[in-house]
This record gives sequence, C-alpha cells and structure tokens, in this order.
Amino acid sequence: MAVYTPENHVQIQEAVMTALADKQSLCIEGRTSKSGLGYMVQADHRLSMKNCSGIIDYQPEELVLTARAGTPLSLIEAELSAQNQMLAFEPLYIGAFYGQDDNGTLGGLVATNLSGPRRISAGAVRDYVLGFDAVSGRGGYFRSGSKVMKNVTGYDLSKLVCGSFGQLCVLCDITLKVLPAPESAKSIVVDCESLEAARRVLMTSFGAAVEPSGGAVEKKAADDRYRAVIRIEGVGVSVNDRIASLKGLVGKSAPAAILDEQQSAEFWTGMRNLSFIDSHAEQVWKLSVTPSRAPAIISAVARNHLIEVTLDWAGGLVWLSGAGAGLGTDIRSAVEKNGGGHATLMRANDSAGSPGAVFQPQPAAIQALERRIKSAFDPEYILNPGKTAKTGAAKTGGNDADTF
Amino acid sequence: MILPEPDKGVMARRDDIVKALKKLLPPACVIDDTTSMSAFDADALSAYRNMPLVVVLPETAQQVADVMRWCRDNKVKIVPRGAGTSLSGGALPLSDGVLLGLGKFNKITEIDFENRSVTAQPGVTNLAITTAVQDEGFYYAPDPSSQIACSIGGNIAENSGGVHCLKYGLTTNNVLGIEIVTIDGEILQIGGKHLDSAGFDLLGIMTGSEGLLGIVTEVTVRILRKPASQRAVLVGFDSALDAGQAVSNVIAAGIIPAGMEMMDNPAINAAEDFVQAGYPRSAAALLIVELDGPEAEVDYLLERVEGIMKQSGASSLRVSQSEEERNQFWAGRKSAFPAVGRISPDYLCMDGTIPRKALPEMLTRMTAMSQKYGLRVANVFHAGDGNLHPLILFDANQPGELERAEAFGADILRNCVALGGVLTGEHGVGVEKRDLMGEMFTEDDLKQQQRVKCAFDPDHLLNPGKVFPVLHRCAELGRLHVHHGKMPHPDIPRF
Repeated sequence: MAVYTPENHVQIQEAVMTALADKQSLCIEGRTSKSGLGYMVQADHRLSMKNCSGIIDYQPEELVLTARAGTPLSLIEAELSAQNQMLAFEPLYIGAFYGQDDNGTLGGLVATNLSGPRRISAGAVRDYVLGFDAVSGRGGYFRSGSKVMKNVTGYDLSKLVCGSFGQLCVLCDITLKVLPAPESAKSIVVDCESLEAARRVLMTSFGAAVEPSGGAVEKKAADDRYRAVIRIEGVGVSVNDRIASLKGLVGKSAPAAILDEQQSAEFWTGMRNLSFIDSHAEQVWKLSVTPSRAPAIISAVARNHLIEVTLDWAGGLVWLSGAGAGLGTDIRSAVEKNGGGHATLMRANDSAGSPGAVFQPQPAAIQALERRIKSAFDPEYILNPGKTAKTGAAKTGGNDADTF
Repeated sequence: MILPEPDKGVMARRDDIVKALKKLLPPACVIDDTTSMSAFDADALSAYRNMPLVVVLPETAQQVADVMRWCRDNKVKIVPRGAGTSLSGGALPLSDGVLLGLGKFNKITEIDFENRSVTAQPGVTNLAITTAVQDEGFYYAPDPSSQIACSIGGNIAENSGGVHCLKYGLTTNNVLGIEIVTIDGEILQIGGKHLDSAGFDLLGIMTGSEGLLGIVTEVTVRILRKPASQRAVLVGFDSALDAGQAVSNVIAAGIIPAGMEMMDNPAINAAEDFVQAGYPRSAAALLIVELDGPEAEVDYLLERVEGIMKQSGASSLRVSQSEEERNQFWAGRKSAFPAVGRISPDYLCMDGTIPRKALPEMLTRMTAMSQKYGLRVANVFHAGDGNLHPLILFDANQPGELERAEAFGADILRNCVALGGVLTGEHGVGVEKRDLMGEMFTEDDLKQQQRVKCAFDPDHLLNPGKVFPVLHRCAELGRLHVHHGKMPHPDIPRF
C-alpha cells in the first residue's frame, strides 16, 4: 500500500491516473474524523489530502470563502468567527462521536453533507456549496459552479458531490457561501408530558411568525418527561421580542423557561456534537423523516426495543440509540409506514452483529440510476470502493452490505 | 442560433408517430394541426420560433411515462414545456421532436401545514402555491418576476430565483421532493417531506437541469410563515458607483436584506413613465432595499440601513410608511421590463452574475460597450447577489440590429465571466447562452457534465440542442483513455 500526499490538483490527477493504469483503488482521506461512518473502504492505496490545505480566498463582504479540500474545519470556522460570520448550516461536530479529537476537513464535510441544528431553517451543506474543482475517477480535472451566489449555468454538480462520500471524484478546492453570524441567540424550553405534546410545541413554534432557527426535543431521564427546545436568533431586540411572543404562544399549556445566551449556546453545541448520545450504545441511528410522523415512528420501534431518542430539525431528525438484531429492520419498516424517509446506521459496536445496511436501501430503478451516475465519474470504481456498499458492491461484488 | 439538424427520417414518419401517440393518449391530448401547434412554437424568448413535430398534453404521470418509453424505443426526441415563460429558449420546440406540455398537470395535491409543505402538479403556477396557503399566513419564497404565469415544474427545471433569493434562496433551496419520469418511462420518487436523503442528491441535480434529464410530474416544496413585517427603503444616488458600494456596505455590516435591487437612470425613467412610482428621475442609480421579519427587527435594521445609505452618499431616501407605499416602490421595479418595452420596439434581457465588488467595473464596461455597439442599455440588477439584467434596446425592423444586440449581449456575458462571474444567474442557458458555455467551462468541464446527461438519457433524446454547444456521443464520452506510465505533466516530481 502506498500513501499519496498530493499538494495540488495535478498531483491528485497523477495519483488517480497511476491507480487507473495499475487497476488499483484509492481511499481518499482527510483527517479521518468520520471514517467510522459507512463501510470500511477496501482500497489498494491511500490518498491523503493533508497537504491540500488552507484558505485560498475569503472576502467577508462578498459572503464567499474558497478553501482547499484538506483544510481543517476548525481553521475555517475560526477565520469566519473573527469576521462575525459563520457556516449557516452548523456542521456537525461529529469527531467525538467516532472517538476522534478532531472535526475533520472541508472535503469531508462536503462528502458527508452532515448539517447541524440550523439545517431546519438555513439549509444543509449542499445549499452552501457554490462551486468546486476536482479530479474524477477517470483522471479528468474539471470545474463546476462558480464563486458567485446566484448561478444556474450548467448542471449543479455541487449538489451531486455533497453527500457522495468521495465516490465520484477527489475534491480539490471548494467555494462556500457564508453568512453573518447572528448577534444574539436565546432559547425557550417547554416541559411536556409526552413526545407528541413536544412535537406539537415545535409545530406551533415553526408555524408562527417568530422565525425559529432550531427545534429539538430531549427526554429527561429524571422524570420521564420531554423538553421541547426552540432557538431564536437575530438582533438582540428582536430576539427578546420573539422569545416573549413565543412564550405567550406555547407557554400557556405547559411550563416554559428561557435559556439565556450562554445556556442556549451550551444546549445547541451539545446538539451539534451529539453529546447526548450514550457512548456505550450498541447502535446509533439517524432518521430523516416527515416531522409530524416522528412520534408514530418512535412508538412503533419502542414496542419491540428499549430505545433512547433525541429529536432535532423540528422533529424531522431523530437520533435513536438501541440494541438488538431486529432494530434496523423495525426502524426502516416504521419509517416506511409513516411517510417514508431515510434511516442511516451512524455507529455500531462489536456486539451489534449484523445490524443491517448502513444506508437506506433504494428502489431498484434509483439504484440503477445511481450506478450510472457513479460510472459517469468513476467507471472503474477506484475511488473509495465499498464506502457506501451501494456503488462499491455493484462493481466489486465482494462487499457484504450487511456487515461492517 | 442553430438547432440540431432535424432527422428527416423522423419527420417522414410524422403520420405514424402522431397515430402512435394518439393510441397512448386520449385524443384531445394530441395536437397535430398547424394552427393549434403554433401556440407552442416559442417560449418567452420569442425572437426564436420553431414548429414542433407534434404537441402532446398528457394528464397523468403514467401517460408521460408511456410517451417517454415510446419515444425512447422509436428514437424520437422530446422537448418538455411548462408554462412557456423561459427567457432562454429552454422550451423552444424541435422540428423532429415531440413537444410535451405539462399544462394539464394543474392541481395542488396536498397542503400540509403541520410539516409546512405543499405538494403540487408541475403545471401549477408559482403564485398559485402562495395563494393556496396565504390565508393561513404562509407563502412560497422563490418569486420569479413571471410568478403569475410560470409553473412550479418549470421552476424546478430552471432553478428559478427572484428578488427575494438573497435571503431565501433559489428554487433548489426550497424543494423537498419531486416525482420524475425518466426517458426509460420509469416513475421515480425523489425526496419527500423529509430533509436530507442518503445516496446521490438526485433532487439537487434535477433542479436546474433544463429539461435534459427527466420530466417532473409532481413537486413538494417547503412553505414559510409570512414575515410579520415588510418594509422597503427607496434610495437615490448621483453615482452608480456609490450605489454599488452602498450595496456592499450593507452586506459588510452583517445585514442580509430580503431583497436589494438596483436600477440605472434609463431604467428609472422608463419605469417612472410607465407606473409613476415616485422614483427620483435625476438619480444615476436607485436602490430598493427591503427588510422583512419581526417588527422590532425590521425597525432596527431599517435604521441601520438608512445610516449606511447616508454614509455611502445617498442623494435621496424614502422609507415606506405603509404597505401601499411599499408596493408602490416595487411597482416600478416589477414593471421594468414592460416599461422598457414601451421606449424601444424590442429589447434583449441578459442575465449574468458577477461578484458584487465588480459592479462598478462592470458598469464602466457596459457604458463603453453601449457606445461600441451603438445601442442603448437599461440596467436592472438583483444587486444583493450580483445578478445583472441589462436590457439591450434595439429595433428588429432595422436590418442588422438584432445581430448587433445579440453580439452586445454576448459581450456582456463574456465580461461577466472575465470578472469572475457566470453566464446566467437565473434564466438558464437554454439555446440563448448555449454557444457561450465555452467562455465559462473548458471542454473537460462540459464533457463531465454531459456524462451526467448520459447517465439519465444515453441517446440524447430529452431536449437536445439546449445547454451544450456540442453533443458528444455517450459511447465516446464513456471511453476511458488510460496512458500507462504517461502522466499529463511528466515534469512534475513524483511523490
């Protein structure tokens, strides 16, 4: 096994061409903070992006930042923060969840499209990638998109690479839209007797003219009750105003408390780094579902399993931990019966056995289309083979979709 | 502008094709007489017209699938059409192609206030979605100027924008799910009422694909709560450069207005003549800045914006004191195109985007180009996101003027790209900007885009002749050239 450490796109191209000529495959690596997500890549060589790092261009007044794919996320967020700006989708700080002390690179963020609490109001990683350049699995260097905010010239390949798990191309430079950070953020906490009641609080909040930027539900172990937490951000005077009107709206039927700026920041940082998840949980699932159906899905799964749940995205995102061979099957069946959606196995420990496919299985016609898209970029399946099983399995035939 | 050479074999088979389509669809859904078909011979880029082989107006996704599969099996091209409001010729028919109109898909299928979503058939107009939910205090954010006429399916195809996309995003940021029919006649459900899905972002790649990848037969969009307060400020400047700088100053202050529009002096006067919006006629440039949100926030930000405008050298400034006055501010801007239509027999509307900071330089270049081509230009900008809409005034009855206007337009777009921008911000490439794609993309970039096309439509049957200047065969694009030991840059040290 060789380790390539290219410094620019020409050297990336060289590594890919060599791999193609030798009929060998590459595992693309950033800082390996998220290598626990998806299947283990079974590749002949490693392509480390550690030498493709650094911010190339950042113009706060243009709301645009271009950085190399291997740039640590922490560096980008520090630069933005110094200018009172932010990545509006709040990238998940998922390193600790996978036992790492790092939150990865820009390339890894784009490849996994993992957005945090503000996804519900501001959109996902994929909504902020304006353009990129890359080397495809064919060894071709190409650009897509631009460095401007509004662009519909040609296909929006930025969307395709977001969440592609490095299976289409090796990203070189990426341009992001950035936004001003809110001046102030506070939250309101509503004590609820049931998950359904908490969901209704979220629904009321997001349907009101108070522009929430986060909506979560956590369960209190102490008294078996649920807490709905709604975040309000913006200029100070407006935040206080909206918190007051929201309290009037949802605090009538249940006791409501207000989290000040510091308490609010602590709570939502916890949602971003998934600190609420028990590190010993056998399996951790992420469910993206129709928000109003989350309680029905959860109670269906809870009929056969002992589970812990925390909700985000106004109920549309469920973090579910539990154990047992049938858990994945029951989750996917409950999602299917309740409006559909996607269940992803984010983590499983050794005792989990065969907990099910990591990624939501797709209908055959969509699978076939995805394989054709894969081939359009990487016809020899040399980039991150087996990472999502779906594409890897098709070519290599050797990847068991049901094991880690 | 040249369309692909029509296939004479297909045109010779026209009677058989019409007969076959009439077997697949109810008789009223197939239009084959010249008079009726002429209603479909152009979209809103009306300088280009062409009669389709035949028009079909299916009523169900299954019928769309049947037509698609039949056309694939018989190698007949298809041009999809929504409401026909494309400004880039995206729905321009092909002489050897079936024009597939989605006008009969005109129902809203579900309004879900709990999950803040609306599911509609693709022929429903953009505005009809807002109309359907506004009594409950909701709206659909993307608001292209053609919103009373344009269809939501067409919005998906073009990734439509509008004056409010600075804050609320384009279509792509507001769609949750779609149902599409592929050229193979497969009906696929992509996304839904949930957010991020696993797998490749098919929703993202379909949005803005200009009818080249599949036909949308159902759309689910997110709706937003209408802001409690909306107010606009109308600011005049003696210098367009100062106005451009003022726009940057607002953004630099950390304020993202709901909309930030700019008009130059010719556009101001054309609009004022047309609707008497109360614009300052002598101003070199006019900004309309709209703020929306909770009342306290709007009041606070309005004060800050006023301060920034004064510091940036504003010569006049009015804040809307009522909803009526706010609408009046917008009336001039929203009627800018027809207003310019009154002062010139014809006009071409361009649609490039540039980095905001390049606005002063672009304005200088535009003046020089206007002199060079001997044609007047009126400028309307979505200044907040750097999206320009220069309107080139010409008279098609004067020999050579259309060609000169087209050359002027192409020159503007080349300058947009040279200044770090793009060919189109929201109108799409279509046929209009197709031949300029090489200004922005290399051959390799375009080939990679076309390989995506091949994954959906290997025989180039869906809307060929749009977007890509050269159609490469998919077999050729798929071929992999592996050079053993031969690197593209052998002089670079190996590692």
